[in-house]
Amino acid sequence: MAKRAALYGFLALILALLCLVPAFASDYVVSLFLDLLMWIALTESWIILSGYTGYISLGHSAFFGLGAYFMAMTWTHIPYALGVLSGGLVCLAFAFAIGFPFLRVRGPYFVILTLGLSEFTKYLFINLEIKLGGTVGRILMMTPGLETLYYSVLIVGTGATITAYFVKNSRFGIGLFSIKEEEDAANSLGINTSIYKWLAFGISAFFPGMVGAILALRRSYIDPYTVFSPAVSFQVIVMAFLGGFEDVEGALLGAVVLTLVSEALWAQYPYYYMIILGAIVIFIVKFMPLGVLHPIKQRLLKEPQ
Amino acid sequence: MELTRILQILSAGLIIGGIYALIAVGLNLIYGTMRLLNIAHGELIMLGAYVTYWLYTLYGVSPLISMILVSAFSALIGLIVCWSIFLPIIKTSKSAAVLESNSLLIFFGLSVIFSNLASLLWTADIRGYSYMTKVFYILGVPLMHNRLLAFLVAVVVCILSYLLLQKTMLGKAIRALIQDREASQLVGINARFIYIFSFCLGFAMAGLAGCLLSMFYEITPFMGLPYTIVAFIVIVLGGLGNIFGSLMGGFLLGLLETIGVSLTSPGLRPILSYSIFILIILVRPKGIFGRGVY
Repeated sequence: MAKRAALYGFLALILALLCLVPAFASDYVVSLFLDLLMWIALTESWIILSGYTGYISLGHSAFFGLGAYFMAMTWTHIPYALGVLSGGLVCLAFAFAIGFPFLRVRGPYFVILTLGLSEFTKYLFINLEIKLGGTVGRILMMTPGLETLYYSVLIVGTGATITAYFVKNSRFGIGLFSIKEEEDAANSLGINTSIYKWLAFGISAFFPGMVGAILALRRSYIDPYTVFSPAVSFQVIVMAFLGGFEDVEGALLGAVVLTLVSEALWAQYPYYYMIILGAIVIFIVKFMPLGVLHPIKQRLLKEPQ
Repeated sequence: MELTRILQILSAGLIIGGIYALIAVGLNLIYGTMRLLNIAHGELIMLGAYVTYWLYTLYGVSPLISMILVSAFSALIGLIVCWSIFLPIIKTSKSAAVLESNSLLIFFGLSVIFSNLASLLWTADIRGYSYMTKVFYILGVPLMHNRLLAFLVAVVVCILSYLLLQKTMLGKAIRALIQDREASQLVGINARFIYIFSFCLGFAMAGLAGCLLSMFYEITPFMGLPYTIVAFIVIVLGGLGNIFGSLMGGFLLGLLETIGVSLTSPGLRPILSYSIFILIILVRPKGIFGRGVY
């Protein structure tokens, strides 16, 4: 228990340091941390559905883009915080609306269904934008400063991490894991797996919606090709896998490592970065199915039995 | 609408449908035998298109000859990938579900590597060449030679692969493996050989489709994903693992798209196909032809 208390203390310290980042760091460092927290929020929310239940979703970019477009359409009409929150809520509502029929579909069908969903929303918005404005992209004016954006991503990222943690260590989380192990058996034992999956899908969609809303303002220019890009979903999956797929710390570490790698390579050598990303994925799956960070994680974070 | 216009739409639908069928049969062959969903299928189409393009523009090799070269080249990639990555993984995976998710990730990795390697080597410029662009008329419908050729090749290859599956001993073994992996191995079918064979055949069909498409569509490093998704739509229409279904599904999607677009606008094409896709998965996940037509 003492070790656990020390761990909580350590995490609180990190959080406090993160709060102080804008006070002493340069704009470059702040935006690096902003990216980092954004990927943490996306990855942590992704594992709530896909890591825990095994329903691998490529639909995260759909929610990310939906949040971004919600913000782009309502910006300057409603206050910033309300816009971010509603961006998340819109995605939550959307996920709840499509959840039951979508989550009846299992295995590879679910994977390609969610890929289809994100491509569908992309082309829907392309057509919608051409109908509405004649052009595809949108420029956002008078966006909030870097510091405001940073703190909002910090809140969303922390929220997603804490949610993922509490879901995992709850009755609800055990139910989700039972879906991964053997869905039919779980059902016959009285776990209402449809409701469980449905809730997890909703929660998992809520955070990317908010992240998308914030990111729209951060970039100040968005178009459907970039915000609905399947690369968003793919990168999230790689991060989750890097860390070990189904736990909170793993997703955190995966997001940190890959964001740093991408920071070092992405700007100057985007193609090399993507090739390395692809190679990493193949390497991990082939040689370290538990995640590259599994041994490190075990040493650092293993709780005493 | 006058008759020529209707015929024109139908012929355009059939031509693109034939190529869709070729792409989807290749993808479905790999899924059916190995339960591996190849997200990198479109990237092989892209590579096939580039190889054809370079052979034609640099060395003047006719795309007709490239069809064979590209198929062999893609089959070779298939052989390497299958042998070095997938056979070991099939052996070490604990369950079918683990294998499915792991293979998805590996194919994703491959697709990212292929498309970015292509942009690195050949830049992101849109490329294309013209070949056999003469127009002739059937029943008053204008048709370009290259499209007709692509259609014929795609249909012939699809029919050949169907016959291979239905009429030969090898095909019988493949179908047995699709139906029941364990049982087929019990009766002495060499699963390892069939895995490699269907992998190479599937990849070769993707490369060939790329070669055919390059004759009249533009080539970019990122052209692959839409075709991958088209192939998914088609095999979902026809049923995962159902080869005959993919053949029919390809034509069906081609026709639906062309008719839908001619009634609305070209920009709506993706929305139309994705709606069909999502609807089919939700309503009839086994495909519209059901199962059992292996």
